[in-house]
Amino acid sequence: MEQNRITFDELWEQQERAGLQQRMMQDYPEWMRRRRIRRASLATVTVLAVAMVSLFNYQFSIQRPYDAVLCNRTTFPDSHWADVAATILTKEII
Amino acid sequence: MKRRLIYIMLMLFLAGCTAEVYETPLYSRYSARQDIAVAQVSGFQLNDSVKVDAVILVADDTAAWLGLKEEFDIRASAGVTSWMGDIDEPRQRVRRSDLPAWRVMALNEERTIAFYRIGDSVQYQALLGYQLDNMIKDK
Repeated sequence: MEQNRITFDELWEQQERAGLQQRMMQDYPEWMRRRRIRRASLATVTVLAVAMVSLFNYQFSIQRPYDAVLCNRTTFPDSHWADVAATILTKEII
Repeated sequence: MKRRLIYIMLMLFLAGCTAEVYETPLYSRYSARQDIAVAQVSGFQLNDSVKVDAVILVADDTAAWLGLKEEFDIRASAGVTSWMGDIDEPRQRVRRSDLPAWRVMALNEERTIAFYRIGDSVQYQALLGYQLDNMIKDK
């Protein structure tokens, strides 16, 4: 026998259209609790991810005196080239 | 649907964070050379509000350095040689007022040439200010 299975979210949308959400909340409290947890977890993970990337970029932008470095060698770290750029400027006067 | 939207926004945000850096024609011209280390420092900070792009060429050996000296018409055999170079052809010396231009500094002992892209007089003043500040610090 074939069964038409429906997810909780689909059922929720159907009820939402029919204006029966309140009744669904009463009938399926456990589902509602899981749904709240799922949504809260997703929101938390998203906010944390965005915050971490922002913080990472901010930290680097305030600490280093350059935006980016391109080089045809991998011998030295990026900061080396920024140091060279700074040092050469002082050499002209000395 | 909302979840997908969040994922798309997150991906766009991450894509923005990892955007590619603009490669100057000067860097592109030398990046394939095996005998020269080439670096481009984008947004090199001169002070709180002014940044410039810098390109640095370091010759691996004397032969490569002599080649660079000829290419940029550097006649001095010691010390620092500096000039304002044409933005498309930095070998050509231009007047200080012909901006945008490269501020070029060649160091014989280090076999190094540095190019600082000066787009306007504010950047030029900031560069001079940076040099002056560091001279005072060194004293």
